[in-house]
Amino acid sequence: MTERIAIDPITRLEGHGKIEIFLDDDGNVANTYFQIPELRGFEQFCVGRPVEEMPVLTNRICGVCPEAHHMAAAKAADAVYKVDPPPTAKKLRELLYSAFYVTDHTTHFYALGGPDFIMGPDAPVAERNILGVIHKVGLEIGGKVIQARKYGHTVIEIIGGRKVHPCTSIPGGQTRGINEEERAEIEKMGRWSVDFAQFSLDIFADIVLGNQEYLDLILGDIYSHRMHYIGLVDENNLVNFYDGLVSVVDPNGKRLGKYAPDEYGDWIAERVEAWTYLKFPYLKQVGWKGFVGGEDSGVYSATPLSRLNAADGMATPLAQEHYERFFETLGGKPVHQQLATHWARLIELLYAAERWVELATDLEITGDDFHTVPTETPTEGVGIVEAPRGTLTHHYWTDERGVLTKVNLIVGTTNNYAPISMSIKKAAESLITSGTVVTEGLLNMVEMAFRSYDPCFGCATHSLPGQMPLEVKITDAQGETVETLRQYC
Amino acid sequence: MTLSSIRETESREPHATDRDKTLVVGLGNPILGDDGVGWRVAEEVLCRLESPVHKSDRLDVVVERLSVGGLGLMERMVGFGKAIVIDSITTREGTPGDLSCFPLSALPDHSAGHTTSAHDTSLQNALKIAQEMGFNIPEEVWVVAIEARQTLDFSERLTAPVEATVPRAADAVLELLLNGAGEADDHDLT
Repeated sequence: MTERIAIDPITRLEGHGKIEIFLDDDGNVANTYFQIPELRGFEQFCVGRPVEEMPVLTNRICGVCPEAHHMAAAKAADAVYKVDPPPTAKKLRELLYSAFYVTDHTTHFYALGGPDFIMGPDAPVAERNILGVIHKVGLEIGGKVIQARKYGHTVIEIIGGRKVHPCTSIPGGQTRGINEEERAEIEKMGRWSVDFAQFSLDIFADIVLGNQEYLDLILGDIYSHRMHYIGLVDENNLVNFYDGLVSVVDPNGKRLGKYAPDEYGDWIAERVEAWTYLKFPYLKQVGWKGFVGGEDSGVYSATPLSRLNAADGMATPLAQEHYERFFETLGGKPVHQQLATHWARLIELLYAAERWVELATDLEITGDDFHTVPTETPTEGVGIVEAPRGTLTHHYWTDERGVLTKVNLIVGTTNNYAPISMSIKKAAESLITSGTVVTEGLLNMVEMAFRSYDPCFGCATHSLPGQMPLEVKITDAQGETVETLRQYC
Repeated sequence: MTLSSIRETESREPHATDRDKTLVVGLGNPILGDDGVGWRVAEEVLCRLESPVHKSDRLDVVVERLSVGGLGLMERMVGFGKAIVIDSITTREGTPGDLSCFPLSALPDHSAGHTTSAHDTSLQNALKIAQEMGFNIPEEVWVVAIEARQTLDFSERLTAPVEATVPRAADAVLELLLNGAGEADDHDLT
């Protein structure tokens, strides 16, 4: 019999990430509970503001992907006003977004996810970061990472007005277009980025796929979950980050359907659990069966891996080649080994760079028709984009003046709360048996569990010391604390 | 005094003469309560620098308000000779409104444990990368930190004790600009 421990609300205020592990009478893991600090009161904060402010305001929700919120907000504001931006505006937005994806996926792979593999999971902690990667692979890598970020930020600034927090999307389109000189500069940076993406995939192939120990880690059961997957696809069911319908597939890869933004309420419900302030989205039509995978469980994930699983392919040629190789290597679709997300992320990096060049060379990209003035009375609207870390949904309600009365968001990482919890439990189970806790490595295995999801926990706050404190507490069947592991708290 | 006016546009490219300049960064999220204190102090610093009191000082300063960290913040600092970062801080023993002033090197660097941010690296690590790459990074980075009461609720207002510290924090920044670095506080940074 295990004892449930009520969660102390103060934990949330302290900004700790907290994991509680409960053991059964045999000393094996019975349950795990994962809590992270959640930012509060955004809906109240927005009520009373004009909806056209949201693309700029929502830049500030998340310090990790302001561009994603900007785009979702822009599309939701379009929907509120029932206005369709002209093709040039949509292409400019998608071009900015593609450049953003290159910077974001680059930063995650080289600063965070990549070190686990490039340095090795057993490498000293002090070396398992981007500096270690540079020391191991060469200074050239550091230069390329900085260059990739610089190019992406430059495109965002040209089209979006600012390097990281764009401000040019308004209901109906954009406030400015680009000229030929800007277009040529963007194209040049895009072509460099395609080479850089291929270089990154070569590194992954050499260092990770070429190493049997890493391949075993990726293919291993510890981070494998059979579940449903979602992701935006275009009219040909190919991955698209900016627009389309959300494809939903089951653990066998069978497509259950596709939904438009204003239909998300028919597909996604949110589960409330007594022990956390977080809600757990799940597929309504399948139903909530607990923190379990399988065809009968509504648990789903929204990650780069999910997007590749939920689509029929990539819309650009080089990325498509890698997409095919990915599934051949990993035994077909869908892939359930969550660590493969790191590989999927690099394939998306390549697609984003190729799409960048495609859009930069589109005849309409320098067009001067980049805004349609809204004429309808505003009411309600939903905008969906793929944030790098998952499907991002913005839902706004306004009065007849376009002033917000209600806001609902499902951010990228929220989709993955249940899968992350399941991954952490599996990691804990591998290192805690019969009451024996392997403390060394437990924190790292737990971190690897959620790092592959590229989560955005409480990142909108920049308060020092700037890292997420994490506490792992293990309690036995009698309610006694077996072990408490902490970092940065 | 030469002074660039406050910028939120994040668009600048460093050049050779910036080595004589100091970058003052108000860091934080202006819609997350006390996390916005860095921006408020930066605005106060700019007002003071433009006032008649300081017009005769020969200060070469760029003041910016930013919401970036790690690699992004390092990239902004490239080319400057010195940098002062103003930010909120959360410590185990601090009281909201406490003011600390210390070199960046005094701040624990947990990037080695890699959960510094779930998506980036620490500023210290980012500066080490820049150094290894041969970038011109500031010789000194100082931090002016104000203990926050709350940074998890969306609000454009600071809590009372943090608001009350804004003038003193601006004093501390001006002191660093006018008289250089002195002794760090004994504030517990662990």
